Amino acid sequence: MNLQDDKMLQSPLPKNENSRIIRNLGRVVRMTVIYVLLVLLALFLMGPFLWLLSVSLMPGRNIFSTPPAIFPTFIDFENYAQVWQFMNFPKYMLNTVIITALGVIFNVVLASLTGYPLAVFRFKGKNLVFTLLISTMIIPSYTSFIVHYLTIQGLHLGNTYLGVVLPGAVSVFNIFLMRQTFIHIPTDVRDSGKMDGASEFRIWWQLVLPLVKPALAVISLLEAMSFWNSFLWPIVILNDTELYPLAAALTYLNGQFAYNFGWIAAGTMISVLPIIILFLFTQRYYMEGLAGAVKG
Amino acid sequence: MTKWLRSESFTAWAFMTPGLLLLAVFVFWPIIYSIPLALTDYSVISDTHYVGLDNFEAAFKDRNFLISIWNSLVYVLIVPFLQIFSILMAVLVNSRIPGIKIFRTTFYLPVVTSMVAVALIWSWLLGNNSVVNYLLMQAGLISKDIHWLSDSSLALYVLMFITMWKGLGYYMMLYLAGLQNIPQDLYEAARVDGASRWRLIVHITLPLLRPYVLFCTLISLMAAIRVFDEVYVLTKGGPGTATLTSSLYIFQKGMEQFNFGYASALGLIVGAVIAVLSIIVFRFNRKGGVNPY
Repeated sequence: MNLQDDKMLQSPLPKNENSRIIRNLGRVVRMTVIYVLLVLLALFLMGPFLWLLSVSLMPGRNIFSTPPAIFPTFIDFENYAQVWQFMNFPKYMLNTVIITALGVIFNVVLASLTGYPLAVFRFKGKNLVFTLLISTMIIPSYTSFIVHYLTIQGLHLGNTYLGVVLPGAVSVFNIFLMRQTFIHIPTDVRDSGKMDGASEFRIWWQLVLPLVKPALAVISLLEAMSFWNSFLWPIVILNDTELYPLAAALTYLNGQFAYNFGWIAAGTMISVLPIIILFLFTQRYYMEGLAGAVKG
Repeated sequence: MTKWLRSESFTAWAFMTPGLLLLAVFVFWPIIYSIPLALTDYSVISDTHYVGLDNFEAAFKDRNFLISIWNSLVYVLIVPFLQIFSILMAVLVNSRIPGIKIFRTTFYLPVVTSMVAVALIWSWLLGNNSVVNYLLMQAGLISKDIHWLSDSSLALYVLMFITMWKGLGYYMMLYLAGLQNIPQDLYEAARVDGASRWRLIVHITLPLLRPYVLFCTLISLMAAIRVFDEVYVLTKGGPGTATLTSSLYIFQKGMEQFNFGYASALGLIVGAVIAVLSIIVFRFNRKGGVNPY
């Protein structure tokens, strides 16, 4: 229920001046209550980030004061400068970008390739493939990481980015999401492509994919977040800490410099900013796609 | 042969092969292979022997494993709370008022951020001489420091709170999508018939939101039982075994002690628990009756 609907509820001609004033007053009170609730929630959900930002800008002695400091006495970028020099952030950032880009490309390409025939083709074995995919959702593979570890070592991909990315390169969830989206594409699109003599691959690439951009955006953003933030599997697979992505490097930093609060705060800020910025720029497509995807 | 090459079947399989191949290696193979693995004492250190059901027998006598299952089941308690709060949040951000998009984005920030960062932030907010204790004391709610993460009767609940804090925005967004997909004419028709606001919620909003509730309940249930990152970064299962969850225990047995056979057996047991729980949720929803949330 929202305010616009309430307006529609009101009769077009108020019976008298008094009831209009009461209604307006009621609306102001409701708006105020909604805004108060929104601000409280925003403080609850964003407060910790603001505090982290605040800590990262504090000079050292400020951080360990009693009572604990919430706002810095003066703003100071020293922590950023020091941790940037110490940690070689550009390298970790590059590692993370490579891993994230590989993960996103694999997922987008494989999910839309695999989901497409399941939505629009008629072929032998379609039901079999479908049943197999659904079965993975019912039978949970809880110990996957042990077998994944053995598989990656067996393929001699230990200590490589491919080893980090491959186990998450394709997901049943994404395949289903793409299939649900492809089903809603009108059959005329494929037919007209066929009439013009285009190959199935070209139809998929040039006619169909541009129509499902919101779904592709959802997959891209969800996978970007999960690969950007992954830390455990990279730690397991990469022996070489030089290859670590940011989140893994962060746990490393935390283990080594637990006493240097300001550094870790600054490092954490540096690691979360890129993904937050990416989200801010793409959220419009993401929200649109998410709504469409769940509707399915 | 050339006819087959030009058929729809061939094209379909050509499209699907790369994806299915990877799925076979990284989704199907782990499920299949963990069964024989669970019947051995496979570890990196010594020779492998077939041990039959010994691992399973040992598991049910393993006090720490039983504790970890219990902790994971306690963790599931966050599911109803998570759903109720995120539905209420979705209703709130469904208001068409100026600036609402900024609030939606703000509420989503914890979802976007890595669990490592979130865990670090909360460990400081809740640590000794911490901001949360200070604020609570200033407000007169507590009289001395609370050891949020090192008190064994509190730590698990604190982790649950952090998991919920991080997840709220995600489910809020799914429910918001659900709310916005409800056709407005349904509400208008009902209003013309003189339905009250409360009846609109009970007879239109909740029934149409049900598929979303089922979906969100299932994925949050799985997530709660699989919870790992926050536990690993914040408490490593401690103090003692207070926050030892099943996935952390399996990880310790598998990737830290390289006891692959035993860890596989534990994984299969927990997998069975997850399967049972998801069937219960499905049943509960199919029966109709009262919507749990």
